[in-house]
Amino acid sequence: MARRYDSRTTIFSPEGRLYQIEYAMEAISHAGTVLGVLAKDGVVIAAEKKVTGKLLDMSGAREGGYGGSGEKIFLLNSNVVAGVAGITADANSLINFARQAAQRHLLTYDEDIPVELLAQRLCDLKQGYTQYGGLRPFGVSLLYAGYDPHYHFQLYHSDPSGNYSGWKATCIGANNGTAQSLLKQEYKEDMSVEDAYNSGDEKLEFSTLTLGPNKQPKAKIYKPAEIDALLQKHGLGKKDEDAEMASA
Amino acid sequence: MDISFALTGKGYVIVAADTTAARSIIKMKVDEDKIKVISPHLLMAYSGEPGDTVQFAEYVERNLRLYQIRNTHPLRPSSAASWIRGALASSLRSRKPYSVNLLVGGYDTSTYTPHLYWIDYLGTMTSVPFAAHGYGSYFALSLLDRYHDPEASLEEGLATLRRCLDEVAKRLVVSPEKYKVRVVDKDGVREIEL
Amino acid sequence: MSIMEYNGGSVIAMVGKECVAIASDLRLGNQSLGISSHFQKIFPMSDRIYLGLPGLATDVTTLKEQFRLRLNMYTIKEEREIEPETFAHLVSSTLYERRFGPYFIEPVMAGLQKTPSGAYKPFIAATDLIGCLNFAKDFVVAGTASTKLFGVAEGLWEPDLEPEDLFETCAQTLLNAVDRDAYSGWGAEVYVVTKDKVIKRTLKGRMD
Repeated sequence: MARRYDSRTTIFSPEGRLYQIEYAMEAISHAGTVLGVLAKDGVVIAAEKKVTGKLLDMSGAREGGYGGSGEKIFLLNSNVVAGVAGITADANSLINFARQAAQRHLLTYDEDIPVELLAQRLCDLKQGYTQYGGLRPFGVSLLYAGYDPHYHFQLYHSDPSGNYSGWKATCIGANNGTAQSLLKQEYKEDMSVEDAYNSGDEKLEFSTLTLGPNKQPKAKIYKPAEIDALLQKHGLGKKDEDAEMASA
Repeated sequence: MDISFALTGKGYVIVAADTTAARSIIKMKVDEDKIKVISPHLLMAYSGEPGDTVQFAEYVERNLRLYQIRNTHPLRPSSAASWIRGALASSLRSRKPYSVNLLVGGYDTSTYTPHLYWIDYLGTMTSVPFAAHGYGSYFALSLLDRYHDPEASLEEGLATLRRCLDEVAKRLVVSPEKYKVRVVDKDGVREIEL
Repeated sequence: MSIMEYNGGSVIAMVGKECVAIASDLRLGNQSLGISSHFQKIFPMSDRIYLGLPGLATDVTTLKEQFRLRLNMYTIKEEREIEPETFAHLVSSTLYERRFGPYFIEPVMAGLQKTPSGAYKPFIAATDLIGCLNFAKDFVVAGTASTKLFGVAEGLWEPDLEPEDLFETCAQTLLNAVDRDAYSGWGAEVYVVTKDKVIKRTLKGRMD
């Protein structure tokens, strides 16, 4: 009988639940972990890449350019980076939507979109799929790290239901419960970006959002070599596997 | 025939507009307020085709108010001015463009700076230390070139404005008798009796 | 009264030896009444492409914003910056889209084009208000002082100028041409783009 309320996203079960939304959230809790930490002088996002086979051609991953969007961390606008967890194909479509929304705001108001407004734009879209007929919701959670003149550095999280919330430090994807409680222990008020660099394994993606010398927000998505250097610096790197990474 | 002036100083913007509503050669009204308070820290003096002016000013007022309700914080002066400019620029290439000229003055509460924008009915916008629209501009701009000081106190700023108004009263054939003067600074908007 | 002369303003771009220069005046007017002496008409489109937009001032702002949007989307999707030649065609097609109700702007652009060998080649171009491209090898001019700019540039420009000499040539050409034009002047700015840096200088001019 329960099946009857599973197939449609837009229909409540007798207990008042929307199963498809819950399944979407379940899908996300198996995805690679993404975590974000808010510091007093910036925001940090780190993502764990799920193990990809050795035969996967990574030569397409560019050096330089626009900070090089990674697999899971994307530049949404000059003042916002996002980390995604969930179905990558869905994420790509959301990222594209976000970039267009940000540019539309820039065109009408001649200012970078405020971070919360961008999160709202995406959530309006995501919420639509929990209400209008026949389509599957986006199986994606996002972390937004951004800066605007109203509230300075900010960190937001949004889920497939279209809910969003602001955080000092949070985590999505696999093991988010464990990571969350670790963050709760480790987080200190007014720590700096330098302190916020978090531990992780070698299959890592990393980005920061800080203020540049001109007081404008500056996003940086680290390249593989830079991540290795960073991990070495903080005494987290493993020498052998670095060599393996370099040859891959 | 409308005349409006605006100038910036240390932490404030003064906006002044005459209060005459005329039709052809007749003064219909002498206490018309042609400065709209758009948000707690934003002012807009409007002039141009009668009818278009009030219509457009209210359109701007409502839209910027809606933004503030939706987003808890109001648009900053630069963004609000850009939006208004966009509205005029797209109106310009429509079937019936608005002919409204504006002086938008505001205080940015996130950077603690005053801003003044000169905008015309074509959608031309530029950030300026002082500005004027109408016949007053031919008299006032040269005076302001000489006497304007961006670091002036409010009293000094008002004295400079006084010079402009006096010059217009002295030299312009159809000079208005009364002006409404408003100031915007960190404390918001207030009216000043000259 | 022509709408192209309503606000006034002029731009010039020149080719040098492994460098380009682009310069504009800073006046914004309402016919003969000066409104601002800080009205920029040259905008960076990437680290090594600069675009000058002389013409009707409302369209200067509109086009500047539109190109910014299109370039941001190009850069973020391609994950690289646009090449000058590609950009010139973007400018052209953006203007031709409005063939029968044009923007009253005659853009001038200057940049360094990456060659297959990895070196940089100077690039300048200009279009008319409906996007007809003109790729020149020496210099391009546009705006209310364009006729005067042609004359002075013809006399001062020579091939293979080093960055500092190109700056001087470009600056003097502009400054002297706008002095003979009532609608241009009130200060100027000059950009010289070389492969490792961009020099920007703001110049004082006659204020009459």
